[in-house]
Amino acid sequence: MKDHIANHIYHVEILPPKQDSEKLDADLAAFAEKYQRTLESGYCICLTDNAMGHLAFQGTEMIQELDLPVKPEQVMIHLNTFHTKDNLDEILRACVARGIRYLLVVSGDGSDRLPKLQPADIGAEGVESVTSVELLRYIGRTHPGAFNLGVAFNPYEPEDHEFAKLDRKIAAGATFIITQPVIARNAVVDKLLATCPLPVALEAWMSKKLHLLSQAVGYEIPESTVFDPIATLRLLHRTYPRCGMYLSLLGFKTQYHLITDTWVS
Amino acid sequence: MRIVVCIKQVPATNDASIDPETKRIVREGVKAILNPFDTYAVEEGVLLRERFGGEVVALSMGPPKAEAVLREAVSQGADRAVLLSHRAFGGSDTWATSYALACAIRTLGGADLVICGKQAVDGDTAQVGPGIAAHLGWPQATHVMKVRDATPQTLTAVRMHEDGYDVCELPLPAVITVVKDINQPRVPTLKGRLASQKITIPVWTPETIGADTAKIGLDGSPTRVVKTEPPPARHKATRRIEGTADACAAELVRELRKRSLV
Repeated sequence: MKDHIANHIYHVEILPPKQDSEKLDADLAAFAEKYQRTLESGYCICLTDNAMGHLAFQGTEMIQELDLPVKPEQVMIHLNTFHTKDNLDEILRACVARGIRYLLVVSGDGSDRLPKLQPADIGAEGVESVTSVELLRYIGRTHPGAFNLGVAFNPYEPEDHEFAKLDRKIAAGATFIITQPVIARNAVVDKLLATCPLPVALEAWMSKKLHLLSQAVGYEIPESTVFDPIATLRLLHRTYPRCGMYLSLLGFKTQYHLITDTWVS
Repeated sequence: MRIVVCIKQVPATNDASIDPETKRIVREGVKAILNPFDTYAVEEGVLLRERFGGEVVALSMGPPKAEAVLREAVSQGADRAVLLSHRAFGGSDTWATSYALACAIRTLGGADLVICGKQAVDGDTAQVGPGIAAHLGWPQATHVMKVRDATPQTLTAVRMHEDGYDVCELPLPAVITVVKDINQPRVPTLKGRLASQKITIPVWTPETIGADTAKIGLDGSPTRVVKTEPPPARHKATRRIEGTADACAAELVRELRKRSLV
């Protein structure tokens, strides 16, 4: 991750097609095009894991079934706790086989249709449920040294609680951090950068619909709010020059060409 | 073991409405999904096939677009699928539907086990599974929450009741209907989904299954919907508990105990 930041490598989030897609072939083609374009740009592709609890295909199976190339420094798989043990192991095996080295380990949003890992499944003792901490420990134990393990940091959660959680994640093996969306200087992010030795990528919200962040930030953002994602991305670079940038909801048709000269030293 | 899983395409519940004139569910322009209980039926069929070998056949009756839920069943692990679709099936009630499905099962060459979801979320009758058993003359177990054991000749099922469960042994062939507690349906893989797009789903007519046309469609349906109305609204009472955290917690526990909720 330090190399990503030093070399101005954006992290570009790509959502795999949803399970209930009614135009799967078109969705697969669009996914493959985004994947290839991001790979060719030298950026890091970040594939979500049932984001927001919406059932979607797994990143690893997308790569396998579409036979997409993997450059180890340029692919990151999100991995959450809503899997069966067999499924989890299969994903980890597929990552190793394809040379994928970056995992973003999160607790996840879940859904009625998704199984949840149980503590006994992954040998976690003294806990009632599996969180990213237990998942990190499991991956570290079963695949020592195979992955760079990232974790999430939410500057909108109660601060003490979030930093304590981060300490547990780091103790469990986290080596980099990706925040929830940041749209301006944030005191909690400042504190994170001042106190945490791990490399940090800020999530940059690339949708113009800022109000969709209301739930994440914990306060109501009016739907009428005017938001310029590219200008905000430039602002974040100026404000946090030591940080990487994780671009969520990037418009490949309307924005992709605009980010090429956005990250300047 | 040949397992036939009967499934239904239903309107997504949140979008459902009733036509005030016909008293029927409005299906046009509404998103259609696989009946949620049927997802568990498919999963149980696939689990049993994985244990005992054989095949899982997904079977549905409906308009041509119902083919989508059959493909979903195949992507979930069913080996093949058959759709009963013809104008003559239109208007069938649960009795006529279960008759047609029973005819189709015979046309398939029979089955060792038929699995249905406990009910469809549109009609909520829970009658089709038992109806199939009646038409085939096979034993049945409804509300099955666990298949404890199975052999080529018998199946031991745990059935859920409001106040407990019972265990019954069924000689095969038999029909079971399943509840959500029975398993955790697997999430279809991309590989499965792509495979499901490629299969050919035969469409069977009354003629194909040798059905008596007097027993299907409106003519074969004794049910008449006289009136439909929403259930009375549930009374919701909110009580705010004031005080310290400890006092609030104690009062909350007291209140829950009083209502036998903990």
